[in-house]
Formats: sequence, structure tokens, C-alpha cells
Amino acid sequence: MAVFRRSGGVATFHWQGDLPDPAGDDFAEALRQRRFRTIEDAASEESSAGWVTPADPTGDSFGPEDMDAGAATWLRFRIDKKVLPKKWLAIHRDAAAKAKGRPLSGRERRELKDDLADKLLPRVLPNVNLVDALVVREKKQVLLFATGKSVRETFTKLFFESFALVLEPSDPLQLALRAGLSPEMNAELERLQPVRWPVDESMRRGRRTPGSAAPRKQDQETGTEDDA
Amino acid sequence: MSAGAETHGFLGEEFLTWIWFRWENDGGEFALPGGRVVGVAIDDMMTFSAPSDEETEQTLRRGSPTATAEARTALRQGRRLRRAKLLLAEGSRQWSATLDATTMTLGGVKLPEDAEEVETDADRTADRAANWIAVHELVASLYGVFLRERLRPDYLKQGAERQAQWMAG
Repeated sequence: MAVFRRSGGVATFHWQGDLPDPAGDDFAEALRQRRFRTIEDAASEESSAGWVTPADPTGDSFGPEDMDAGAATWLRFRIDKKVLPKKWLAIHRDAAAKAKGRPLSGRERRELKDDLADKLLPRVLPNVNLVDALVVREKKQVLLFATGKSVRETFTKLFFESFALVLEPSDPLQLALRAGLSPEMNAELERLQPVRWPVDESMRRGRRTPGSAAPRKQDQETGTEDDA
Repeated sequence: MSAGAETHGFLGEEFLTWIWFRWENDGGEFALPGGRVVGVAIDDMMTFSAPSDEETEQTLRRGSPTATAEARTALRQGRRLRRAKLLLAEGSRQWSATLDATTMTLGGVKLPEDAEEVETDADRTADRAANWIAVHELVASLYGVFLRERLRPDYLKQGAERQAQWMAG
């Protein structure tokens, strides 16, 4: 069995609503519905994304034991992408232009690219990206081990398509609203403005003068935008 | 960037700057709910946010950036920390992670060494998953401690006043 990673970057999400028990059949069936499907031999599809498990990168099986990570459930999804080799495209474009004795028009370039995609994509092996996530069902929280925008979007889409749950990314406001604060504090959060900390304007403009960095009187330093 | 990061990104930056302030002034030990105690220190990378669109972010790397003249100058300019590499310790476990304060995401996380008693791959995975969850819990709990102070009606007269003296000093 694979071992979960010890390092990396994480994006955190939360959901509202009920997620099926990861040990149950409903959970496995939800993953199976959006399982990974290979594009190894496909001519037209340039990318494919779907669930697999750490034990089986094909998406053929979803045994609960393969996703068990103790206090969390280890989800893994796979993104395969076929990319038309740019240099091949350039070689064929140059050859076509030479044969015609003039540069190709925009339409001719598009047609050539489509034609080449049909011929070459079946021969191109896809790039494989395996992305992990830890689902903490009790906290309605997901830790996604990828921080790139497109991977995050792919994951939230897959999660929604599988479980009909919308993932909200964690941020300072969302995290604060989940911190168990009093209703008064939660209300205050909405109105909160940044603290305006002491600023030595002469330093900020790059015209530092002797003594300008010395501590300034407190009563003129601290305040919020509300105080202004 | 999410809507909450757009509107309240400053709050994450205030949180990170507060950690630095508390670390320098109170020793970096934080009492968390449930009797837990976590030690926090700022390691060898910090980025100050740009006060305006016309100004630049400033990143200090290697060595002890918190002790540099550049860092003191940034504080005197009222700049907040946007990113910093943190060391977090609870009991015998220690994590390092770079906190992006605007989005509250953790990058470059390194978990504690695997527990000695783990023998199988399944045990190792469970141990690591528990450590991933724990580091997020620690950061969320620390943030909760900060928020309870920040949202007090007398915050500007108490905690903020002390921090202002430190930043100007």
C-alpha cells in the first residue's frame, strides 16, 4: 500500500450538508460514477479527470480499505492530459506553408492543427497527475494537496458531481466564522476594518531623516479606519 | 481568490503580525482551548504586504529575518506580514509551514518525524494524516485566540496599543 505524504502545500475547504460514510457502499458508488477514464488511445479527448484510489490508479476499484487513513479518508484523483507536441505542429505548419508558397491563413492553420490532432493525439501518451486529498468527515473539511487554481477547480467540480456538496475554500473570514465566536463577535467580523498601525511617513516616501524612526507618541499612533 | 480573502485578507495578515509580536514579547507559547499549549516561532522567510498598489511586497529570506533592520523598518512603516515560515511545536511534535495569511493556506509543510511505534504502511499513513489534521487544528485554534482578542471592544486601547509600541520601537 502507498504511504501518505509527509510534506507539501495544502488548500483547505469546508462543506455544508451530509457526506456519505466513507466506509459505506454509497460513498464508493459516488466515486465510481465519476471514476477516472483513460484517454490513452483517444483521438479527440485532450484531458480526463476522475477518481482513483491510492492502491489502484486505474479507477477500477474503490475498496474502503484502500482509502482508510485513520482519522481521515484518503481520496485521490487523476488528471491525464494529452498535449499536441508544439514542435511537430511547427514542422508541419512550415512544410504546408512551403508547399503553398505563402504563409497559411488563420483558417488554414486551425484546420491543419485539427487534422494533426486527429493523427497525432492517439500516438501521444498523456501526462499523468495524481492529486491527493484528506477528507475529515466529522469536521466537514477537506485538505487538498494542490494549490494550483485549475487543479482546485477540477477537484471542487468532481466533489460536487460526486456528492452534490459545494466546497467553500478556507480564508480568513470563513475560518473566523468557524472559530466558535459569540454572535456579537461574528457580527463585528462583518464590519471589521484594518488596524491602522503607526507609519513613519518620511521613511515610507524614502526621505528618511535622522530620528524619524524613533518611537512616536502612542496616542497618535493606534486607531482603525473607523476612528478616522 | 475567494470573497472572504478579498474582504478579510487583512485579518489574516494582522494575525500573522500578531504571532510575531507575541513571539517576541511573550516567548511564543500560546495557551489554546482544552489546555493545549503550542510553541510558535517565525523561521527564515517572511513577506511584508504592500501598503498600496503602488508599493512593492518585500520578502526577507535566510538567517533570522525578524532580527534585521529591514524588518524593523517595515514594521515602522505599518506593514503587515503577508507570508511567513512558521515553526509550530506541541509536545514532542514539530511542524514547519509557510502560512499565506491572505488565504490562510499552508505551503511547504513538513510534518513531524513518523512516530516510532508505527510499523505498517497503513499505520504510517494514519499517523501522517493525523499530523496533517493537527497542524490545521493548531493554526485554526491560534487564529481563534487572536480573534477573541482582536474582536474585544477594548482591543484598540489594550492589545493594539502594546503592539503599536512594539512596531514603532
